[in-house]
Amino acid sequence: MKISFNWLKEYIDLSGIEIQEVIDKITLAGLEIEEVIDQSKMFKNFVIGHVKEVKKHPNADKLHLCVVSDGVNDLKIVCGAPNVAENQKVVIAKIGAVIPENNFEIAKAKIRGEESFGMLCSERELNISSNHDGILVLDNALEAGTTAADAIGLNDVIIEVAITPNRQDALSHLGFARDVAAIFNRPVKFPSIDIEEINEESNSLAYVEILDPDLCPRYVGKVVKNVIIKESPEWLKTRLESVGLRSINNVVDVTNFVMHEVGQPLHAFDLDYLSDNKIVVKKAGDENSFTTLDSKKRVLQSNDLMICDGEKAVAIAGVMGGENSEVTSSTKNILIESAFFNPSSVRKTAKKLGLQTDASYRFERGTDPEITVWAAKRTAQLIQLTAGGEICKGEIDAYPVKFGLKQVKLRFERISKILGYDVPNEKVTEIMTNLGFEIVSANNESVTVTIPIRRHDIEREIDLIEEVARIYGYEKIPDIERVKVTLEPKFDETEFENKVRETLNGLGFYEIITNSLLSESVANQFGNSIAVLNPQNMDMSNLRTSLIPGMLTTISRNIKVKENNLQLFEIGKVFNKKNDLIKSFDDFSEESILMGIITGKSIDTDWYSKDSNYDFYDLKGYVYQFLKSITNKEILHSYNAEDSLLVEYSVILELAGEELGTIGKMNDDLISGYDIEQPVYFFIFNLEKLSNIPVEEKKFKELLKYPKVYRDLAFVIDNNITHNEVLETIRNGSSKLLHNIKLFDIFQSESLGEGKKSLAFQLEYFDVSRTLTEDEVEKDFKNIIKIVEKKFSAKLRG
Amino acid sequence: MEQRIIEIGESFTKELNIVKNSKDLENIRIKFLGRNGLLSQLFEDFKSLPKEEKPKFGQTLNVLKNDLQNNFDIKLNEVSASEKSEKSFIDFTLPGKTKSKGSKHILIQTLDEIKNIFKGLGFSVATGPELESDYNNFEALNFPADHPARDMQDTFFVNPDFLLRTHTSPVQIRTMQKYAPPIRIIIPGKVYRNEAVSMKSYCLFHQVEGLYVDKDVTFAELKGTLVSFAKQLYGNDIQYRFRASFFPFTEPSAEMDIWWQPSGKEGRWLEILGCGMVDPNVLKNVGIDPEVYSGYAFGMGVERMAMRKYGINDIRNYFDNDKRFLEQF
Repeated sequence: MKISFNWLKEYIDLSGIEIQEVIDKITLAGLEIEEVIDQSKMFKNFVIGHVKEVKKHPNADKLHLCVVSDGVNDLKIVCGAPNVAENQKVVIAKIGAVIPENNFEIAKAKIRGEESFGMLCSERELNISSNHDGILVLDNALEAGTTAADAIGLNDVIIEVAITPNRQDALSHLGFARDVAAIFNRPVKFPSIDIEEINEESNSLAYVEILDPDLCPRYVGKVVKNVIIKESPEWLKTRLESVGLRSINNVVDVTNFVMHEVGQPLHAFDLDYLSDNKIVVKKAGDENSFTTLDSKKRVLQSNDLMICDGEKAVAIAGVMGGENSEVTSSTKNILIESAFFNPSSVRKTAKKLGLQTDASYRFERGTDPEITVWAAKRTAQLIQLTAGGEICKGEIDAYPVKFGLKQVKLRFERISKILGYDVPNEKVTEIMTNLGFEIVSANNESVTVTIPIRRHDIEREIDLIEEVARIYGYEKIPDIERVKVTLEPKFDETEFENKVRETLNGLGFYEIITNSLLSESVANQFGNSIAVLNPQNMDMSNLRTSLIPGMLTTISRNIKVKENNLQLFEIGKVFNKKNDLIKSFDDFSEESILMGIITGKSIDTDWYSKDSNYDFYDLKGYVYQFLKSITNKEILHSYNAEDSLLVEYSVILELAGEELGTIGKMNDDLISGYDIEQPVYFFIFNLEKLSNIPVEEKKFKELLKYPKVYRDLAFVIDNNITHNEVLETIRNGSSKLLHNIKLFDIFQSESLGEGKKSLAFQLEYFDVSRTLTEDEVEKDFKNIIKIVEKKFSAKLRG
Repeated sequence: MEQRIIEIGESFTKELNIVKNSKDLENIRIKFLGRNGLLSQLFEDFKSLPKEEKPKFGQTLNVLKNDLQNNFDIKLNEVSASEKSEKSFIDFTLPGKTKSKGSKHILIQTLDEIKNIFKGLGFSVATGPELESDYNNFEALNFPADHPARDMQDTFFVNPDFLLRTHTSPVQIRTMQKYAPPIRIIIPGKVYRNEAVSMKSYCLFHQVEGLYVDKDVTFAELKGTLVSFAKQLYGNDIQYRFRASFFPFTEPSAEMDIWWQPSGKEGRWLEILGCGMVDPNVLKNVGIDPEVYSGYAFGMGVERMAMRKYGINDIRNYFDNDKRFLEQF
């Protein structure tokens, strides 16, 4: 909302107060000023000029060479306007001036070979109207050299105020003035309405019937006869332009003016187009289409509240009037509407229609039903002032649902209890009074006030405490220097996640965060996805069921910029429907998932090793190291999982029968769909299951005091025998003295025979309580060789 | 004796001259200077010489010993220097064998920073689901249905009763339902807003909220806590102000600004967080008596904080996950 200081000053005396001080204090009090337009600064370097001479430009038919006095010097200016003539008073944009229309800065220029020291401005260039037919020609009485800001009244300061949804009462100049008044302790001056009415009564010319009083508790009408519709006077245009409104005609402009003055949206009907001279306020019912005054056909719902006449709808209540009854140049008789509509009803209708107007914006925040009569009178007064006519006596006032006045008690002790500092009692009552809250009773403990209906946001003691705090000033709250520390048990629900992150960082993984919203087809590829009712676009219509698409998109994007070597992980939620209808938290799942990938090379330095491509064993190494850090458990059983469209091969990791996650290689077809041509190895874990693994408590193991004995051996065996099978056989066949078996070489060669490989192991023997003898180790070692040779038809090498 | 002294001296010089490496040198050391070497033998023999001959040979022997040792040392230095340069030439300019460095996402790092400050002030850390009920996200937090306050947060709905949470505040409700005061938590997490993706906005972002409910919690304490937080994050010399504002779940409500002075640009007040005293309606909704208890709450967005701190100008950088971006943090 825009507030003009020139306009504001009509309602409050700001003498002796700097505008900047008003801006700073009102911002702190909760009416946030987002932008300040100081016209006098904006129109710096714009002065009134006297055109002394106009000649044709020698090189261009449409241009003129002018000599214009700025009061001190004669300036040569090239001008293209058709209406420029000698002895005019015009606005010169001198060198350094910035044209408001386009932020163009005027500099000395050569136009078709002729020098120019400025520009003569049109109304559009000055942002005061859309007129660009020629330059603005001013009253000849003006002195050359006067600043343009003063000469044409462009000396306003206009602010853009962000009004929070609870403060509809401040959505007008008078409303804004009330807060300024409370802060600076000065009175608000309402304009006096001194009108002469004819004897004919408004309610003899029009009738109002409210069929849905809950949706329209009050409807005030007033009639003005025999008006002449024409252009608005300058003062009215200036006011409307200052708040960013376009002038339409005198009557419509007056309704807009009064809305911005007092906050009551108003509508003017052409009374002669209302059949039966009747207003009926009712729901749309079967009527399902209506043309608003912007000539657009609107589709209605049966619950939308409409303003109708004797036979048809004439306005969508609180949103927009109809084309069929709008004020036109031939309008003679006016019915002014000044009503209060149910906020949530207006909001629903405006939302469904996708039509937010200045009126609906105010109605849906709750207007002031008590101001309706005043606003109708004020409108009539200004219509008469600008359009002539006769004001009919009295108002039609349909007020079926009265608003009870709220009384709220404020305990002084409660103020310091909530705010933590004392506000003097007299200051509290002064603030109440200045905000227009009537004091009903007061004593040493409390004050009871009546809340004006316009303050829909104030119902309770706490709301009054807020009023006291914001008007008295948050800056008066002391900077407290100590706080209590309570000793309730502490917890950190992100601790496990962070441990996972830090462990993976230590292994070289970068964390990524991807979008949780995917297209329907992608989301459904990995699960039973949940759709968003109102998505931004179809690429972001469903909740993700897997972290895979986000991860593959990330890999793909990186490969496109030649970042081929990647070690990434993401921790995020995935969502799956359990039932089609989501009525409770049981109807869907939301799980925390960890996914990581490796792809490309493990070492960036090519000169050292040409073959550092990541492979499955890199992945397995990372995963096992990770799991060991997280769980402090070393052994996790793994089984081959079934083939799928997602993976080339994979291994499921289990602990005590519970599936923890999967590791493997992504399916080539899947990743090539993301333009990825290099192998991608992945791991996916359910984070909650991981976090539920009981962490083996760390216990110190006594360091070995006796020497270890090592024995190496290598077997030639069939290719299809796995490392694990041999390992288990050795373990089962050995004595208790064998503690570790380490594979240190795998070797395949024709010299070993077809389909054969050599596995070389190092066996580690020791006893915690004594030194071993050569004999007992040798005996065990020989026994192992025998068993393995027998079981796998293996041969001991060398 | 004299003859042997001369011979040993000469053969030492001869052999030393043809030494090629440290191994040869070691052999010479053993042969001449070792414990059972030729020099030791000479000294051994010297002991059995007649008394009158001892002064004469004693001196000569000592000279020989010093000569041999000196020459040996010189040679040793030469040999080891040349061996070092031959055998272990390292080109220090070759690139090192680097592996992936790894890091937390910058948003998580920023969250950690905020979290750690509040943990130091005695806060616990709570989390909650992203797919929430309308009740927890709005109703319980004093956002009535069909109220313009709901327009403050554009919402992704799954159906009229379930939605993607627009703030982490539903975790306030969940925590207050679960625990009795005192409650002192911060809530980090992902939240969603139905906004078009652009340089300045994304459909999701990260938020940290705080909640403290106890007896005698005051606005002054809220302010003190947040000032302490802002100073820890932005430095002790910040300028700040609290502005009245509106959030349905707090009353009174405020926004905190700090003075932001980017180098070479005009300074301005910059909003860093929203806060306020927990609205009595919210306390009532979770069965806490607002006459006995009071509380404060605050919340801030992580993306914007990190954008300012690191000069990131496009919010989409966070979610594109370009390795060249990730590596910078």
